[in-house]
Amino acid sequence: MPREIITLQVGQCGNQIGMEFWKQLCLEHGISKEGILEDFATQGGDRKDVFFYQADDQHYIPRALLIDLEPRVINGIQNSEYRNLYNHENIFVSDHGGGAGNNWASGYHQGEQVEEDIMDMVDREADGSDSLEGFVLCHSIAGGTGSGMGSYLLETLNDRYSKKLVQTYSVFPNQMETSDVVVQPYNSLLTLKRLTLNADCVVVLDNTALNRIAVERLHLSNPTFAQTNSLVSTVMSASTTTLRYPGYMNNDLVGLLASLIPTPRCHFLMTGYTPLTVECQANVIRKTTVLDVMRRLLQTKNIMVSSYARTKEASQAKYISILNIIQGEVDPTQVHESLQRIRERKLVNFIEWGPASIQVALSRKSPYVQTAHRVSGLMLASHTSIRHLFSKCLSQYEKLRKKQAFLDNYRKFPMFADNDLSEFDESREIIESLVDEYKACESPDYIKWGMEDPERTLTGEGSISGTVDPALAM
Amino acid sequence: MDQHQHYQKTTTMDLIKDLVVRLSPDPSSNATEKSLKYAIRILSSRISPSVTIDEAAIAESIKRRLVNEGKSSEALTFADLYSKFSSRSISNRPALLYLLKVISDDRRKDRSSDLLPSALLPSLSDPKNTLENGHRTTAGGGGVLLFSKDPENIREIAFREFSDLITEESEIPEGVLVRDVLYACQGIDGKYVKLDKVSDGYALSESLTVPRSTRIMVRKLCELGWLFIKVRGYISESMDRFPAEDVGTVGQAFCAALQDELSDYYKLLAILESQSLNPIPMASESNSGNYLSLRRLAVWLAEPMVRMRLMAVLVDSCRVLRGGAMAGAIHVHAQHGDPMVQDFMRRLLRRVCSPLFEMVRSWVLEGELEDVFAEFFVLGQTVKAESLWREGYRLHDGMLPSFISPSLAQRILRTGKSINFLRVCCEDQGWADAAAEAAAAAGTTTMRGGLGYGETDALEALVSEAAKRIDKHLMDVMYKQYKFKEHCLAIKRYLLLGQGDFVQYLMDIVGPELSEPANTISSFKLAGLLESAIRSSNAQYDDPDILDRLRVKMMPHGAGDRGWDVFSLEYNAKVPLDTVFTESVMARYLRIFNFLWKLRRVEHALIGAWKIMKPNYISSDLFSKQRGTVTSQFVSMSRQCQVLWDEMNHFVTNLQYYIMFEVLEVSWSKFLEEMETSKDLDDLLAAHEKYLNSIVEKSLLGEPSQELSKLLFILFDLILRFRSFADRLYEGIYELQSSLRKSASRGRGKPMSRSDDKKSKSGTWVGEGRKAITQFASEFRRKMGLDFDTIAHEYKSSLEGFIAQLPLQQHGELLKAHLSHTHFPDFVSSSQ
Repeated sequence: MPREIITLQVGQCGNQIGMEFWKQLCLEHGISKEGILEDFATQGGDRKDVFFYQADDQHYIPRALLIDLEPRVINGIQNSEYRNLYNHENIFVSDHGGGAGNNWASGYHQGEQVEEDIMDMVDREADGSDSLEGFVLCHSIAGGTGSGMGSYLLETLNDRYSKKLVQTYSVFPNQMETSDVVVQPYNSLLTLKRLTLNADCVVVLDNTALNRIAVERLHLSNPTFAQTNSLVSTVMSASTTTLRYPGYMNNDLVGLLASLIPTPRCHFLMTGYTPLTVECQANVIRKTTVLDVMRRLLQTKNIMVSSYARTKEASQAKYISILNIIQGEVDPTQVHESLQRIRERKLVNFIEWGPASIQVALSRKSPYVQTAHRVSGLMLASHTSIRHLFSKCLSQYEKLRKKQAFLDNYRKFPMFADNDLSEFDESREIIESLVDEYKACESPDYIKWGMEDPERTLTGEGSISGTVDPALAM
Repeated sequence: MDQHQHYQKTTTMDLIKDLVVRLSPDPSSNATEKSLKYAIRILSSRISPSVTIDEAAIAESIKRRLVNEGKSSEALTFADLYSKFSSRSISNRPALLYLLKVISDDRRKDRSSDLLPSALLPSLSDPKNTLENGHRTTAGGGGVLLFSKDPENIREIAFREFSDLITEESEIPEGVLVRDVLYACQGIDGKYVKLDKVSDGYALSESLTVPRSTRIMVRKLCELGWLFIKVRGYISESMDRFPAEDVGTVGQAFCAALQDELSDYYKLLAILESQSLNPIPMASESNSGNYLSLRRLAVWLAEPMVRMRLMAVLVDSCRVLRGGAMAGAIHVHAQHGDPMVQDFMRRLLRRVCSPLFEMVRSWVLEGELEDVFAEFFVLGQTVKAESLWREGYRLHDGMLPSFISPSLAQRILRTGKSINFLRVCCEDQGWADAAAEAAAAAGTTTMRGGLGYGETDALEALVSEAAKRIDKHLMDVMYKQYKFKEHCLAIKRYLLLGQGDFVQYLMDIVGPELSEPANTISSFKLAGLLESAIRSSNAQYDDPDILDRLRVKMMPHGAGDRGWDVFSLEYNAKVPLDTVFTESVMARYLRIFNFLWKLRRVEHALIGAWKIMKPNYISSDLFSKQRGTVTSQFVSMSRQCQVLWDEMNHFVTNLQYYIMFEVLEVSWSKFLEEMETSKDLDDLLAAHEKYLNSIVEKSLLGEPSQELSKLLFILFDLILRFRSFADRLYEGIYELQSSLRKSASRGRGKPMSRSDDKKSKSGTWVGEGRKAITQFASEFRRKMGLDFDTIAHEYKSSLEGFIAQLPLQQHGELLKAHLSHTHFPDFVSSSQ
């Protein structure tokens, strides 16, 4: 009864990072490119069945669905050394292969149309697992397929598997450079709405920050997608280590996420990883201790979300929760000492309305992957500064929306037919309230924040209908 | 040549004959004839000195002997004669002197001891009387020698008169007294010296007139006899009891040693007795004869007296003692400054301790307890294999001689115990090699009698060598053959819930079962579930032997108990590991398991609660565009729920962290360290005990933290209550939501405001009218609000109580540090 997790990789970006993720997982579990367990991988202690299952011939097959509306990336995978790893039945490429044209509406609409096919695949995978824990969605929020179709999938999953967890690894577009996708703000906004409402946990992978890290931390002058994707796969695999190497605590995804997400809507997590290396690069090896790793994880430069890096209101920003996954040879006694040191130095600014502290999960390291460092760490954190990322999305959207630019592409699809742009407005409203909620989290009165609302709504409503039962006014 | 020799002989013979006849008082007597023969024999024998003769040295030695024998006047005469002799030009002077010396020696030997035949002149014993006579004649009758003796005679006469006076003063001659004393010394009443019952000692009877000094001396000397009786009495008494067990081998050895000492004493007495036959010469006689006077006897008996006194003291102090205690008591007396006493005691102790040391040897090297009379300081008793180590053997302090230090005794005990443990519990044969090696290393053979008293160093060396090797062997057996470490790890993983995935699955699958009343639960079914939890978690890769030992255990249950209250896991540690994991140890493990299991259950419940109100549920339902009063009130309530959940989760998570980092892992790593350094099973047991204790204490399961533990369980129960509360609340909310949505969908199209829209009439409750729904909703909300307030309030006060009590505990501060960020937000009362 492993707590299985099914991965859905949607769109170009989703499949690319997904592929990197599976590569990394295969390496860590000693599974060959063909899906066969390597001879040396006998030490056990790891759980492969969370992410893999075994075919009749003992091949390990990822519990992964590869979905795209255009064949390029998936063809690339099917022609790569890993072509035999995946279950071919789990690959979905749209018949016409025309893609979504970077249009959220197109992706969403096509998603609606192929719902049956895809849900068949999902159901099959779900039935094949004993106790399904949830789904992981890899996608980007800016493009067409990943954002549009991903959004549709999120809604469907939420509907059909309401009791299962839905976690996403969402790549946010690079806001530093002008994108070739001009409608990016529209796509992002519409996807964000689904991420807010239909996902349990969103791990934000900010391309802006990933690029910055690649340039600043790894000294790559012009980082390629492959290189930033390897950062992503590192984060993804690290965040699942406790599931794959069982220990005393944090052996399932729920347990991992529950403490990270005390308030349901604030489920956007940012990540930090240290020490960072990229395969080809000979980094200077430094001494790594638990304290060292924990301190580095709190440094802005290691955080993979850009909003954090330039917070004008940084003094206000607070951590809602932090989970550090420490991998490697760690003396458990060091953990408490390190935490105390960090507390003494007041390195972390936590919310005031609830209890919060740095949580630590210790995990083993794969014996098959040689790293130069004894200890490495991943931070998953819920931090209120992430609202700046959403604000940025909103402001970009506002700019575009004011000009009424590029809306025609959307009007072609049923959701926006008849010039019904309420979906945009509603999304904006939800993102705004999300930003508000994050802001409210920074104040100690967060609990009351929810209480003020009803009065206002009440009066508003009362004025409209005037027929409200007095009992409700309590 | 023959001719010449013959001639010489005849002439020499004549000369000798002339000489003898001249010296002899009566030339025609038989004696003269004999003397002549003797002289001829001497001269014809070929005596020659073993070393080259040095004239001066011989002269000197003769002179010295004369002086030594008290014949200083004769020595002077000899010196005079020798100077005359040497001034003459006589050939063969040294040979002549030698001849004279040998003759004189021969005569002395004959007289002093008949037993020892002369080595030089075996056949000369016969005519000694003749020669003596001759000599005496020489000395006494005229001639040269008499002349120098004249002045001595006056002194001699004076002495004789003095001693005559003394003899007249006492009724009894001294010789008789000496004999009496000698009798007394053998425990026999003499003629005059008798055992006086009143004064409990030998004394001369008062009626006899003897000088006071003599009386005192006799009394003093006779103490020996009194002591002797005592010692002899003890020996014979003990000998009589030999078969009886209260003497023991040490006692026997003691008796034997005493007996030996006594036989030495008898020998001495025999010699003295024979000497006492020699008449006591008068004081005037400067004769050096071997006679015994009381004074001489006092000298002779001084040393035996000391010994006898010691023996008597020992006999007194050992009368009621046995075995090791006896050896110890004797050892106390051996601490004496007098080297003579030390020697004596050492000799005695060597004998006395030999059975003891033999026991030590066979115990340490063979693990055999050869102790029929319970004399050894190790006591054995028959126990079950599992308690062999703890209870099978113990030290008997009373039997521990003081020359063996308690630490050494402990080591001796442990070494033998280890062998027995290996033999009985581990069914191991390798210890014999280890023991042989140890014996070889210590330099003694494994044969009997290798050790003795006074060789404490050797004993220590043997014991430490044996201990080192046996212990090492035992450790090897424990670690390698019986996989001690692996079992400890297995216990940590399964009983202390270290194997997270296993525990989770177990919790998942036995959870529903355990919610049933305890008496309806089948433990077979649970065993099956345990099996499947093993199969589906990573535990499946564990050693099957270890997994086989893992069992479900149902504790005795009372009325109203749920499965949760009685379920536990147990680990069956077989022999010899059950020496470490005894029942009481396992009982403590069980307590820890119950605590951790409860903690896990609470965590599980909290996670379950989170799943009920997880983001995509709440967000899509509660935060959607429908924002009515009821909804928003539920929103605020659900936020309070979330905050309380967060509070509880934080508490539980931090408690878990504390348990993991500060308790389990820290204790474990310390235990591992100590395991590395443990040299013997006792160390190992102590290390394990420490490990277990530290877990028990730090988990607040110890005696002093009972209150805390109670509070903690109250908190746990509150959290479980919260879980079921959350279940009900969200179930209600979802039901409400769905009915509202239904009504909304039916009411769609009607020109109503949004809030009216969702409260329109349709569906189950909706059918009863909008008012009914709102009433139901507000009623439900009110009720839930009340429930929530109770739980929140109780939780808050319990947590406060818990944290306030923490610093009072030993490990509280640590835990408090973990919980330091716990605080209590003011829950806005939602029931108003």
